[in-house]
Amino acid sequence: MSELRFSDVSVRYGNRRRGMTAVDGVSLTVPDGAVVGLVGESGSGKSTLARAAVGLTPLSGGEILLDGRPLQHTSGPRPVQMVFQDPYSSLDPRMTIGDSIGEAVPRGTRAADRRREVARLLELVELDPSRAAAFPGQLSGGQRQRVALARALAAQPQVIVADEITSALDVSIQGTVLNLVRRLQAELGTSMLFISHNLAVVRYVASEIAVMYLGRIVEHGPTAEVLADPQHPYTRDLLAAVPDSTPGRPAPVAADPALAAVAAAEPADPHSPPPGCRYHPRCPIGPLVHADRDVCRTTEPSTDHRHAAACHFAPAGRTLLRVAD
Amino acid sequence: MTTAPMNASPLVAAAEPTRRSAARGRWLSVLRTPVGAGAGLLLLLVLLLAVFAPLLWSEQADTIDTDSVLQGASGQHWVGTDNLGRDLFLRVLVATRLSIGLALLATLIAVVVGLVLGTAPLLLGRRAGRLVVAGVDIAVAFPGLLLAIFFAVIFGVGMTGAVLAIAFAGAPAFARLTHTLAAGVAERDFVAAARIAGVGRLRLLLRHVLPNIGEPLVVNATIGAGGALLSFAGLSFLGLGVQAPSYDWGRLLQDGLSGIYIHPEAALAPGVAIVVAGLAFNLFGEAVAKGIGLTTSLSSGQAVRGAARPDREVAEVVDDGRPATDPGRAEGRTVLDVQDLSVTFPGPAGPVRPVRGVSFRIGRGEAVGVVGESGSGKSLTALAIARLVERPGEVTAERLEFMGTDVLAGTDRTHRRLLGTAFAMVFQDPMTSFNPTRRIGRQLAEVAEQHQGMSRKIALARAVDRLRAVRVPAAERRAHQYPHEFSGGMRQRAMIGMGLMGEPKLIVADEPTTALDVTVQRQVLDLLESVRTADDVALLLISHDVAVVAQVCDRVLVMYAGRVVEDLPAAELGTAARHPYTRALVATVPDMHVDLDRPLPVIPGRPVDPAHQPPGCAYAPRCPLASARCTEEDPALVDDGTGRRVACWHAGEIAADLEVPGAAPVALTMGERA
Repeated sequence: MSELRFSDVSVRYGNRRRGMTAVDGVSLTVPDGAVVGLVGESGSGKSTLARAAVGLTPLSGGEILLDGRPLQHTSGPRPVQMVFQDPYSSLDPRMTIGDSIGEAVPRGTRAADRRREVARLLELVELDPSRAAAFPGQLSGGQRQRVALARALAAQPQVIVADEITSALDVSIQGTVLNLVRRLQAELGTSMLFISHNLAVVRYVASEIAVMYLGRIVEHGPTAEVLADPQHPYTRDLLAAVPDSTPGRPAPVAADPALAAVAAAEPADPHSPPPGCRYHPRCPIGPLVHADRDVCRTTEPSTDHRHAAACHFAPAGRTLLRVAD
Repeated sequence: MTTAPMNASPLVAAAEPTRRSAARGRWLSVLRTPVGAGAGLLLLLVLLLAVFAPLLWSEQADTIDTDSVLQGASGQHWVGTDNLGRDLFLRVLVATRLSIGLALLATLIAVVVGLVLGTAPLLLGRRAGRLVVAGVDIAVAFPGLLLAIFFAVIFGVGMTGAVLAIAFAGAPAFARLTHTLAAGVAERDFVAAARIAGVGRLRLLLRHVLPNIGEPLVVNATIGAGGALLSFAGLSFLGLGVQAPSYDWGRLLQDGLSGIYIHPEAALAPGVAIVVAGLAFNLFGEAVAKGIGLTTSLSSGQAVRGAARPDREVAEVVDDGRPATDPGRAEGRTVLDVQDLSVTFPGPAGPVRPVRGVSFRIGRGEAVGVVGESGSGKSLTALAIARLVERPGEVTAERLEFMGTDVLAGTDRTHRRLLGTAFAMVFQDPMTSFNPTRRIGRQLAEVAEQHQGMSRKIALARAVDRLRAVRVPAAERRAHQYPHEFSGGMRQRAMIGMGLMGEPKLIVADEPTTALDVTVQRQVLDLLESVRTADDVALLLISHDVAVVAQVCDRVLVMYAGRVVEDLPAAELGTAARHPYTRALVATVPDMHVDLDRPLPVIPGRPVDPAHQPPGCAYAPRCPLASARCTEEDPALVDDGTGRRVACWHAGEIAADLEVPGAAPVALTMGERA
């Protein structure tokens, strides 16, 4: 497995007049053998980043490096593989799961070897190899997601991108898939970019966490540190929004009208991101609450803070995140 | 990893032919409809004629008999003879081959050209593809017959010219269809996955795209063949098609027309043949299209406003004497009273009951949550309450009262007003619950126009007001926007706003936040909460997310296999749940405190298939507490006197190893396979 590095990656959709920048100058490293969790709300660009990594979306700036070399999409299975969110649409309904997996096995493999490889992969994802002849319609959602994982592994990838792979599954099944991901990761040492909107899931799987907001990474650090001591107000809001199974009423709406307004603010429109710090219209420590913090409206914050937090008011810290220790 | 395979393989073996036969069954079921059977028979007859008629009668049909020129119908010549004394009936029969053959040939060429043009954008990539699409679009705009005549002139008068003309006239439409279908499939994730796996464009097309668009293409080709037949007859009739001495129906029609006043049969016979063959192709295509369309619409299963059983025996029970199984502790007036609610669907092996005897009551302003895995019947329960269960489904209940009115008895119309104003439903996917072609404000206003008889203007003003009430910023402006201009959270707010157009007493929210981000989820839940407390509105919140329900609701109903297995205060979910399923469900949700060094707890086994309910407790096969009694007798939902209800023979017992698989990964794998 290898290191995947996004270097100042930008992805723009549409034309110059009416377009949007889904990913805006993102630099992120998935170290060799590590799982980096990428969290953020829909529209933050996390799925676009994933699609860019596997070459489904062209970059409009920056580059993606695999072990220091620019990623090239030549023929044959790509070195970065992806597992999609919806296992019901990511498998061809007219193809047996064995064929679907076999398709990703590198070209030039003899048919018998290919079959053996498919059986091995099915076993690896804890499915019965004899089910290779089954069609996706005969499998449950969790089983399909295992097949999708097996297909990604079939291509002998150097990095796997998992895009919300449990969010279409029932909670009782989500656990089995997450356990499988953890086991595979431990056994194979796969480098992985694990995208999810569920912080509890990311916490369980990832060793590092990167928080994305409106096309930018706003905080990045080791999972335990970021969750225990979030630096960016958006990370803090994300954490606060996680429903806690300890029962009780939702936190009372803040008494301060300014705070209440900020809490109820609509997610920003990625088509016209606000100037300055992109989070300022929703920020509980920003200019809407503290009148003197005009700097948020005008100046983009640097990331010279702890956890590389992109916030003017985060405590200072290391300039750069650890570069492959 | 090797324990379970045995029991899975026979399943595969059994399921494999099922799939094949399902496809065959679909085509067979088309033939079973009257139209399908008639069209199929007709088509078969026409094709048989095309093959055998020339072999049998072509000599007789060409025999010139100068003694009987231009005769009318007689016993010897059923539809008379032509100007050389040849038998016209036989000539019509013999002409079948040429007519059908040429039509099929033209269709074949049209289909091939159409396929090539339609799939070219996929193969060529974006820029070159766009050129092809533009070219096809222009070609489609030309009237087909005009194009055919135009081509006939270019290619010269004769068979070849006519075939090519009709083929090229039909190709653009087919190309357009292919392109549209293929583009739809190409956007799906499995195509993207295949691309990442290194599958080339041609292979992608052949293995992933074409098989998934095959059925509609075949249907359209069949209908196209009927069209080509008619066009061909037309060209031949105009003298642009088949030339003497060859003859097809169009040619015969033209020959016969000259003497139509003397003996019309000569013109009528080929005319009838054209109509019959054309009908055969078109009807068959339509029948197949309908058959296939029907099956797909059934499987997608969109809820349609439909039937509660009208012939239900009205159980006008007096208000007292409620069964002890239902806690009558709903403070104040009861908003919703459900007793023994069941939903039944006809199945291939007898009726299937995904909801089996659900009873509960919701008081004014109370928030009740319903949790359970997918397939537990929780959404169907909500749909049944809203009278939104699709037609073959049947809703029965001992009592289903909303605001004291029995919503099962009586017609739709009588309840429409009540449900329209006092009842609000919020669905999971707000994108599909709004009409994408109409502005949000108008859609909200429509509710008030329909149910409260407001004028257009006042209703729109109210819509804006309601949007403001659900905290949609710049409500006035946003009311004029279309659903796609709203973010997911905003759409969900608008949906709630739509429910608030009347004066709801009950909001049924079916997974309202599942499609939303956590931060937005929180906002929507807060909104539901504030609506609830402001107007004392009851809430029935259906969710797979135990944490969400625990936060928002007063009381939680846990559903499994179509039954309520536990009914308890939300505050006790994590601490005092007595049903092993409830405990397992709570344990499987990873929270921010879950132990990172252990595998996540999972519920072994799979949810019960509603078609195969076990005799005893449905949860017994997955339950760590299950005893012999559990597999034989289904426990009733029993009230313990404090309002908590539970359906379990071992309620409250603690399992020694409550499904925490610990270090044994085998237990995990069993979970999915069994």
